[in-house]
Amino acid sequence: MGNWERLVWNQRDVLLAGLGVTLEVCAIAFIAAIVGGLALCLTRLYVAPLRPIAILLIEFFRDTPIFVQLMWVAYVWPEVFGFPHSFFTAGWLALALQSSGYLAETFRAGIEAVPRGQRDAAFSAGMSQPQTFTRIVMPQVVLASAPSIVNQFTVIVKSSTLISVITVPDLMSQSQKLVNVWYEPIEILTATAAIYITFVFLISLAGKLLSDRLRQRYGLAAS
Amino acid sequence: MSDALKQTLDLSMFWEYRAILLQGLIFNALVFLCAASAALSVGLGAALLRVNRFAPMRWIGTLHVEVFRNAPDYIMLVWVHFVLPLLIGTLIRRRVEFHPFVSAVIALGLVYSGYFAEAFRAGIQAIPQGNLDAGRSFGMSERLILWRITLPQVVRRMLPEALNLFISLFKATTIVSLIAVPDLMYNVSMVIQQEMRPLPLYTGAALTYFLVIFLLSSSVRVFSERWRRKILA
Repeated sequence: MGNWERLVWNQRDVLLAGLGVTLEVCAIAFIAAIVGGLALCLTRLYVAPLRPIAILLIEFFRDTPIFVQLMWVAYVWPEVFGFPHSFFTAGWLALALQSSGYLAETFRAGIEAVPRGQRDAAFSAGMSQPQTFTRIVMPQVVLASAPSIVNQFTVIVKSSTLISVITVPDLMSQSQKLVNVWYEPIEILTATAAIYITFVFLISLAGKLLSDRLRQRYGLAAS
Repeated sequence: MSDALKQTLDLSMFWEYRAILLQGLIFNALVFLCAASAALSVGLGAALLRVNRFAPMRWIGTLHVEVFRNAPDYIMLVWVHFVLPLLIGTLIRRRVEFHPFVSAVIALGLVYSGYFAEAFRAGIQAIPQGNLDAGRSFGMSERLILWRITLPQVVRRMLPEALNLFISLFKATTIVSLIAVPDLMYNVSMVIQQEMRPLPLYTGAALTYFLVIFLLSSSVRVFSERWRRKILA
């Protein structure tokens, strides 16, 4: 047990700092992914001239492995588009791009599941198109896709381990630094793995409770 | 900026190194095949534990599923490559080292066994009790019931889900370059170190993976749609 104390407990500040960065990157990426996914989805559904571009982007984000995308955003984008300026930004941006592709499809399924009749009813009751969208369609979409959105957050957390490769000082990267100092990987890496697994487990547990709750209260066939 | 863009889209360098890059892609496929077989068999084992009659068996199955399904691929890869050999080494009192390829297969196989276990379990629990009772009343052994009655139906039901998991697994194989398995990404970074031109090479890698995975996933989508209709009909 002495090893655990020396290598893990006494290094808790380093690990916690890493965990903080991980949380920060994941939170930013998550919000950006929701905004981006909604934008992609609405463009795909309602902006006819841009539709092919939206479809291409969604497919590209979904079908390119996150690691490849990360390297691409971190090393190619700065030269071509002039940004991101830091690896931190590149990290959350790549995570957000990947998830925005998945979320766009989730939102689209949610929107398409709202029966046509409800929209017609709203129109005939004198609601404008934006009103119909925000008051009739969106609440149902949010309810139906809440479990998938939470699930997407676990995907972001899992993929976030890869940003250590582009030297963002997240939990993974801090623990690898400790390993390189002490050359004793067993305790440090096991503890790191346990932290990640527990964290992701708690998020998916919360997601499951949420979807059960929604199903009970609104009778939704949540998946 | 336009110069950078031109460089990015100039894939002639990517083409120049096609032999070594293709070799890398074949390595991706190899890791995929081995990890997929490992994930399928371990996943089936875990699913059978989860539906076992004895509660402690079920707990072990649940633990397996929850640990590996919630573990990030990359930390598992690093753990299996750097920690597992040490643990085994202390156990048998001999120096053990894993070849990167072996570590990659074990790590990805374990992570995806968690997902496959859940797919198997959902399929197993969807089999009507009457089917099993009928098998028993014919005097079939539990093992025979599993192979002749349960699994054929489970496989048919879980096929679309399993194909999606296979695609995720294939995407996950790109990270094996981080422990020096010479896959496409690894070879790309080797060539980048030599030529100092990341733009066309990373772009080429992204496009290559995109094309391969896009083709795979669209055919899976078309196939699953038909398959579902056939199963439901």
